[in-house]
Amino acid sequence: MFFKSDKKSQDQVHGFSHLGENLCFEGEIDCKGEIEIAGKVKGNVRAKKLRILETGSIKGLVQADDVEVLGYMVGNIESVNIHVGNKGVVRGDLRFESNLSILEGADIFGHVQKNKKEKAKRSDTDKVKYLEHNKIAS
Amino acid sequence: MPSVILRDTKLQGNIIEKDSITIDGIIVGDIKAEEVIINENGIITGSLTADNNIEVGGQVTGDLSSDRIHLNNSAKVRGKLSHRNLVVDEGAQLEIASLTRKKITNNNKE
Repeated sequence: MFFKSDKKSQDQVHGFSHLGENLCFEGEIDCKGEIEIAGKVKGNVRAKKLRILETGSIKGLVQADDVEVLGYMVGNIESVNIHVGNKGVVRGDLRFESNLSILEGADIFGHVQKNKKEKAKRSDTDKVKYLEHNKIAS
Repeated sequence: MPSVILRDTKLQGNIIEKDSITIDGIIVGDIKAEEVIINENGIITGSLTADNNIEVGGQVTGDLSSDRIHLNNSAKVRGKLSHRNLVVDEGAQLEIASLTRKKITNNNKE
C-alpha cells in the first residue's frame, strides 16, 4: 500500500515548470507535463501543455497538446488546441487538430490550418481493407 | 518570479537567469544565475555559475562556481568547485577538486 502510493507520487508531477521573466534560454525544451514561459526562449519546444505568458517569447517550433499564447511567438505551432490571448503575437503558422480560439486584439501573421490526422489514417486503413477485400474476391 | 524546472522537463542548452532557479529535472548545458538550487531529482551535465549561492541535492557533472556552495546529503557531484564558503553534508558523494578564493574573481562575472 505505502509503496504504491509512493510510486504514484513519484510518477505524477504536481504543478508546472516555470521559466521566469529574467531567464534567457537557448536550446531545446522537452516537457512531459505543463510548462509556463515568462522569459526568452530560442529553440524548439515540446510539451504537453505550454503557456507563453505576456512577458514570454519563443523563437522556434512548438509542438504540444495545448498551447496558450499570451506573449510573443515567432515560429510555427503544431498542437491539438491553440489559444491566442488578446495581447498575443504570433509570427508563424498555426496548425491545430481540434480547437482554435483567438481573442480580440491578437496579432497573427501566418497560415492557419486544421489538421485531421486521425481521419487521414482511417481513410488509409479503409483503402487497405478495400484492396484486401478485392484480393479475396478475385 | 524565480524559475522552477520540474522533473518531467528536460532542457538542452544554456540557461542565463538573473533571478533564482530551482531545478528538479534534467539539464544538459551551462547555467548562470543569481542562485541555483538543485533538488534530489535534478541531473545536470554542465557548469553552474551563481553569484550568491548554489545548493545541490541532485547529480551534477561539471564545474561549480559561487560565493557559497552547499552540497546536501543526497548530492552527487563530479567536477571543480570554486567558492568562498563550502558546506558539505554527511552522505554527499563527491569526486571534486575544490578551491577557496578570498576575493571574488572575474570568473564569476563573465
